[in-house]
Amino acid sequence: MSSSPERRAVIHDIGYRTYDGPRLGTGSVATSLFTTGLLNAYGFGRSAKAKVLPLVVLAIMLVPAVILVAIMVVVGLGEGFIDYSTYATSLFLIISIFVAAQAPVLFSRDLRSGAIVLYLARPLSAAGFALVRWASLAVAILMFVMLPVLVLYAGALAAEADVSEQTGDLLVATAGIALLSAVLATLAGLVSALTLRRGLAVGAVVIALLVSTGFVAAVQSIAVVEGNEAVAVWAGLLSPFTLVDGVQSGLLGGTSSYPAAPETGVMAAVYLLTALAVIGTGLALLVRHYHRQGKR
Amino acid sequence: MPVIETWGLTKRYGPVTALTSLDVQVSEGITGLVGANGAGKSTLIKILLGLLAPTEGRADVLGHDIRTDGAAIRAQVGYMPEHECLPPDVRAIDFVVHMGRMSGLPPTAARERAADVLRHVGLAEERYRLMGGYSTGMKQRAKLAQALVHDPRLVLLDEPTNGLDPASREDMLHLVSRIGHDFGIPVLVTSHLLGELERVSDHVIVLDSGALLRSQATGEFTGTTGVLLVEVLGDAQAQHRMGEALAAAGLACRPRGGLIEVDTRHHRPEQRVHDTVRDTAVSLDVGLVRVQAEHGRIEDVFRQEVSHVQQS
Repeated sequence: MSSSPERRAVIHDIGYRTYDGPRLGTGSVATSLFTTGLLNAYGFGRSAKAKVLPLVVLAIMLVPAVILVAIMVVVGLGEGFIDYSTYATSLFLIISIFVAAQAPVLFSRDLRSGAIVLYLARPLSAAGFALVRWASLAVAILMFVMLPVLVLYAGALAAEADVSEQTGDLLVATAGIALLSAVLATLAGLVSALTLRRGLAVGAVVIALLVSTGFVAAVQSIAVVEGNEAVAVWAGLLSPFTLVDGVQSGLLGGTSSYPAAPETGVMAAVYLLTALAVIGTGLALLVRHYHRQGKR
Repeated sequence: MPVIETWGLTKRYGPVTALTSLDVQVSEGITGLVGANGAGKSTLIKILLGLLAPTEGRADVLGHDIRTDGAAIRAQVGYMPEHECLPPDVRAIDFVVHMGRMSGLPPTAARERAADVLRHVGLAEERYRLMGGYSTGMKQRAKLAQALVHDPRLVLLDEPTNGLDPASREDMLHLVSRIGHDFGIPVLVTSHLLGELERVSDHVIVLDSGALLRSQATGEFTGTTGVLLVEVLGDAQAQHRMGEALAAAGLACRPRGGLIEVDTRHHRPEQRVHDTVRDTAVSLDVGLVRVQAEHGRIEDVFRQEVSHVQQS
């Protein structure tokens, strides 16, 4: 660090300016944190390198939708041949990669770099911080999954499909995607907050999402072949993708992409309650975790 | 009005007592909080920020009660933590702007003030670089900038000179002095190096094992001790002869290294110690190069008091 006399002189000349302007409340602090978090999840406001992965994965996510739209428009298909509500589940691998790679950006980075101390020394409470971080991640995932679905929707409208039918399907898919984003943000956020090393956190989230989904798919296939539908449906509770797929098909009238979906209203309600319980419990644990950080 | 005031502040972690019934007052200007590692400095700061709840006692910061008004305190206080707290993949300017927003500044004000404070801490050109590539000195400056960005009414600096080389340490102490004296922001600054803060702080609080050892103006620590240091030049025996002669003249003196230590505390005022020293040097024909009143150092006070506590 140089401390040449010229530099000191320059610093001295400026003089300190006080600030007498407005100071905004918690709401606007939270909004600012939310926006910054959302941008950070896509690599904006970070190094150039940080933008590569989220944007490449987003492009991969969009390719099938763009191709489908192109075919629809060229062939003049009035009916989309992929259901909006199944688009997300059929690309669950890509979604898992995005979630696993970007959840640590919002949940491990502050804890590992120690910046959490600076946040907690500011007006927003630990609980507020945890919830805003979660909202940033949930909305980042929502945007990631919704964007190709909107491309499909726009394509269907361009191909002169029935507007009211398409819009109804889109709303069902949107509700499902919103629930999926919330569940994924909760699970991935919690795993990332507890696993400080970024590499480990990415691995842990990938394993949690892929292994659970693979496990459920295997159990469901075997159970269906064996004729044991009940086991297959209960197994669906164990992966976030089958869980949300079940809610979407059982309660909202979407199309299921998995071998066993809840067929009774009661079972579908169990799916929904499980999803809400996962979100509720996960958020409570996250808030508790961040609350403890201030006491370190 | 004091900016910080505590009454019987106590913090226990299970069987371990981190702070023992602490009564301190911090006023305007710079207050040094010194004590060995583990003396309770960081615990006190966390309690003052409302992040840790005290086991007993209470404290007011800027007139707000720490138990009920934590958010109001945190909105008006700047805090520079001891440990690393900067995300490596962010530019300093973006980070300080963001932290300004987190303290409630509107977007434009946050940008202006971030550029301002980064210039004040001496990160003018480097502010567009990712902080991961910063030296320790630059990181400490960036940490200081985020503590100042919202124009706080009080700053709490936890070990700002930690890990710095001597030149950067000087720069940091100079900055601390400017914040307290030129910017007019009250500063509470901690250090485990007891002597380091005596030049910049107006007041010093000494903690030892969570208890208050001393709290007084720096001048009282560093006032004259009543000892006069004398040095003479001449032949090889000059120092020795001078000492003998001074003792013969009735002064309480003894050698200390290459100097002669004259204790003036027990001399009556009519004994003109300085004149005696001068006359003795003249009569011995040696060169008198130093007659200096010795000043106390916080470190000495600390050592004495700790040994007292341990003996009793």
